[in-house]
Amino acid sequence: MTSLEDLRKINARCIHCRACQYAYSNEPDREGESEDFTGMLLSCPSGNIYGWEGYFNSGRMWIARAFLNDEIEPSQEMLEVIEACTTCGLCAEQCPNLIDTVDVIEELRAAIMEAGVEPLNRHKVIGDRVEKEELRNPYNEPREDRTAWFDGVLNKEDAKVAYYVGCTGAYRQQHIAKHTASILRKIGIDFTVLSDEVCCGSPILRTGQKDTFKKVMRENLEMFKDFDMLAFSCAGCYRTFKVDYPKQSGEPLPFEVKHTPDIIFDLITAGKLKIEKPYNKKVTWHDPCHTIRHIGLAIEKEILQKSDNWLIDSRKAKKAKEAWYHRPREVMAAIPGLELTEMYRIKGDSFCCGAGGGVKTQFSEMAMETALERVREAASTGAEVLLTSCPFCITNFSDAVKELKKREEETGEDLSAVGSKLEIVELLELLDQLIE
Amino acid sequence: MSYNKVTDEVVTKLNAICGEKYVTTSVPLLHSYMARGIMGLEAVLPEVVVRPSNADEVSKILVVANENLSPVTPAAGGLSGGFALPAIEPGGILMDLTRMNNMEVDTQNRVMVVEPGVRCGDAWRIFKKRWPDWAPPIPDGAPPGATILGDAIERGFSLVTGKFGPQADMIIGLEIVLPSGEMFRTGSWALEGAKAFYRWGVGPNPDGLFLGSQGSMGIVTKAAIKIVPHPHFKTIVAYGGDSWEHIIEPAWEIGTHEMGIAENTVMVQGGNWPLVMTRWPKTNVPLDYKFYEKIGIDEYWMNSEVWAWSQEELDFVLKRIDETYKEYEVKKKTKCPQQSLHPKQIASRLKKPNLIAVPYGLYQAGFLFITWYCPWLESPKMMEEYCAAMENYGFPPTMWVASIDHARQAIVMPILCFDSDEKGIYDKIREFNLETTKSFLKQGWINYRPDPFVHAPETFTKAKEYYRMLVKFRKVLDPNLILHPGRLAIPWGTVTDLPNPLEGE
Repeated sequence: MTSLEDLRKINARCIHCRACQYAYSNEPDREGESEDFTGMLLSCPSGNIYGWEGYFNSGRMWIARAFLNDEIEPSQEMLEVIEACTTCGLCAEQCPNLIDTVDVIEELRAAIMEAGVEPLNRHKVIGDRVEKEELRNPYNEPREDRTAWFDGVLNKEDAKVAYYVGCTGAYRQQHIAKHTASILRKIGIDFTVLSDEVCCGSPILRTGQKDTFKKVMRENLEMFKDFDMLAFSCAGCYRTFKVDYPKQSGEPLPFEVKHTPDIIFDLITAGKLKIEKPYNKKVTWHDPCHTIRHIGLAIEKEILQKSDNWLIDSRKAKKAKEAWYHRPREVMAAIPGLELTEMYRIKGDSFCCGAGGGVKTQFSEMAMETALERVREAASTGAEVLLTSCPFCITNFSDAVKELKKREEETGEDLSAVGSKLEIVELLELLDQLIE
Repeated sequence: MSYNKVTDEVVTKLNAICGEKYVTTSVPLLHSYMARGIMGLEAVLPEVVVRPSNADEVSKILVVANENLSPVTPAAGGLSGGFALPAIEPGGILMDLTRMNNMEVDTQNRVMVVEPGVRCGDAWRIFKKRWPDWAPPIPDGAPPGATILGDAIERGFSLVTGKFGPQADMIIGLEIVLPSGEMFRTGSWALEGAKAFYRWGVGPNPDGLFLGSQGSMGIVTKAAIKIVPHPHFKTIVAYGGDSWEHIIEPAWEIGTHEMGIAENTVMVQGGNWPLVMTRWPKTNVPLDYKFYEKIGIDEYWMNSEVWAWSQEELDFVLKRIDETYKEYEVKKKTKCPQQSLHPKQIASRLKKPNLIAVPYGLYQAGFLFITWYCPWLESPKMMEEYCAAMENYGFPPTMWVASIDHARQAIVMPILCFDSDEKGIYDKIREFNLETTKSFLKQGWINYRPDPFVHAPETFTKAKEYYRMLVKFRKVLDPNLILHPGRLAIPWGTVTDLPNPLEGE
C-alpha cells in the first residue's frame, strides 16, 4: 500500500532545480537536426501549455510538500492544477534525486479526494461508471457486450494464459483486440478471455479515485490468480497490472504479465519467430509512457531498492532501464523493409502523446495541443507512418491528424510538414498483418 | 516598516497591466513557487504572482506596488536551482519574469543581451545551432532551468570564472527598472542608440549597486554580457592530495602565471571525498573512506578545465600543469597524484549546463549550499575549520572549492546535507551558520551569498559604514522600501532582532 505520507521523504528531495521541465536535461550537447530539436528541450506537456510554475512537476512537488505540511487546504482549485498532468513521467526520468514524481502526483490526487474534495466532473463520471455493476467500464457500455468482439472460447478452464483485453480493446478498439487474439493464436499460445473481466482501474487510479481502484484491483487479482500469464494489448492496463497492482496491494503478482509486443520480442530474440513479410515504409516510433518509460523506471527502481551501494549499482540499474527502452526497436528491426527514422525525443525522454493521466477526459484542449506537438515532431523525421502501441496514444494522435486535416480544409494550407499526412498505426495491427 | 496586504483593487490593477491570464492569487499556484533548501531555508508565501512580458509592465507593476506599499520580489530561474523568494510578511507580489525570455547575440562585438527569463538550457541549445563557436555566458554547474541573467546579477559562476572572475565581471550594461518605475541603462548603453560595448559608459557606473542585491535595489530587465569563443579542444585534469593545502597551493602556482597556461585553465574546482558520498542515499552508500580509496578517489582533489585552440596547445598546457604539480611535490615533499579519468568522467565534468549540484538531495532529503569568499591561499584554513564544525554538528563534511580569477579568491562552499524531517534541524543549521559566520567574519572572510537572516545582519553589524551607505542608496532608489530585503538586510527589522547598526542616527 502507498500513500502520499509514505512519499514524504522522497518528495522532500526536491530542491526546485527544475531540471524536470526538460527532456535530455543532462544531455546539453545531444545532436539534433534543427534548433527545435537539439540539446535539452522544455517538454512538460502541462507546464509548456499553462506556463505557471504549478503546472510543471517542479511546482507540483512543492504543492505536495505544502499539503503534507498542512500549509494548504485541499480544494477543487488545487485538484484542477494537480489533475492537469498526463503523469507521463518525463520529469521522473530527469530527476537527479530520483523522485517518483508520478507516484507523488497520483497520491496527491488521492489525498485531496480523501480529504473530501470531489473528483473533477468528468473524472467522477468515469469512476462512477466503473463502479456500476451493469457497466464496469469507463465508456458507459453494457457489461454483457464486453466480449462481443471475441470469437474464441471464453473462460476456457484449462488455459494457462489469459488475454486481459481492457475496456478500450473491448469497446472502442475492437480491431486491436482481434489483432491481438490473432497474434496470440498465430504464435501458438493457448489463451482465453474472461467474461467477468472488469476495468483494470488505470484511469481511476491516475485520477486519484483510489477506493474504486482498489475494488477493481482486488476483483481482477482474484479472477486471474490461477493463470500463469496475462497478455495485454493495452499499454495502460499492462502498466497498471505490472507496476500498480503490486504497489497498491502490497503483494507480488500471482502471475506473469506481458505486453503482446514483448511476447513477440522474446520470440524474435530467441530465434523462434522470423517475420518474412515486408513492410516497405518509412516509420517513426512513439514510445508510450505506460509501456516504455514507466516500466523502465520501475526496473531501475527495483534494482536500486535491492542495492546497498547505489554508487556502484546505479549504472547497472540504468543499463537495465535502457535495455527495456530498446526492446520495441528490436521488434521493428526484425520487420523486413521497415525503415525506422527516430524522432528527437525518444525512450526515457520521449514526449508524451497528451492523453494520459485523465487529461484526455478532462482537459481535451491540452491533450490536443500536446498531440499536435508530438505529431509535428514525428513529421519532422520525414516518416510516413507514426507507429506506436497504446490505445490512448493512437486515439490522441489520430485526433491530432484529423484536426490538422480539418485546418487544411478550412485554410487551404498544406500542413503535411507538421503531420497532416501521417498514418497512425498500432504495432499490434501491423504485427498481425506481417506474422504468418 | 509595515507593508499593506495585496487587495482586490491591487489585483485588478495588475490584471489591467499584464492581462488576467498572467496574474494569479490561486493558493496552489502561490505554493508552487516555494523553495526551501539549496540557497536558503526561509521563505513566505507571496500573495499574488504576476508574469509581466516586458520592462514596461515591470515598471507599471512597481508603481502599483508603491501606491499600495506592497513588497515585491522579482524571480525567474535564479542560479543553481534556487530563486529569490519573498522573505518578509506579508509576501506581497512575486514577479515571475520567465516570460521575458528574449536574447540577442552580437558575435562581432562579443556580447549577448538577455532578458531575465533566458534559461541556460535553452541558450546552450540555440548556441549549438546558431553560434557553435561561441559559448553562451551560462554558469558552470547550474541546472538547465537556471537563468543567465540571474546568475550574472548574483555574481555567480561563468564557464570561464577561473580566468575572468565571476559572471558579473562579464557584464557590460544593464537595463534597470527602479522601484519608482523609472527605467535607465548603464554603460555605453545609456546613450540613445548606442550598443552595449563599454561598461563604464557615459559616466560613473552605478551597476555595482544592482549586482548581488537580488533585485533589492531595482529590477534588472536586460543584461548585456560578454561572450567568449568556444574552442573545441577541451579536457579536464585532476590531481589528488592528502590535505586542503596540497590541492590549493599547486593550483595557485598555476594561477599566478596570469597569462599563458593560466588563461587556458578556465575553471579550477575541487573538493573532498564526502563530495562523492553525499550524492547517494545515506542508507545505500558506504560511509567509510576506505571504499572510496579503493575505487581511486583521493581524500582531496582539484580539477582543472583546460580550453585550447589546438591539440598542440592543449598538450602544452597539460604538460606545464603536470610539471607544476611535480615541482610542487618535490618542494613540499608530498604526493599529488594525477587521477586517471575515464573519458566518460571527463565528458561528464565538461558538460554544461549540468545537474552536478542537484543530487545532494538524495543523501537525506535536504541540503543547503553556503558560500564564502576568501583569499585563495587562506581557503585551506577556512575549509579545515568548516569541516570540523560540520562534523561537530553531525553533518558530513562535504566541501567544494573553486578558484576565481586566476586563484586570486576562493569560493568555499560547504554542502550541508541534512534530514529535512529531523525535528529542530532548521534551528541546528541556523546555530551552525551563526557560529561559523561569527568566526569567519573575524578572520576577514566574506559571505558570497548572504543568508538574509544570519549572514547579512552579522556582516553589516561589522560593516556599519558600508551598511549606512547602502541604506542611503536604497532610500534614494526605493523610498518606500517596497523591494524585498534580498541579501541587504533592508529594512533591518524585517530580518533580524540584532541591534540596528544605524540606531540613533
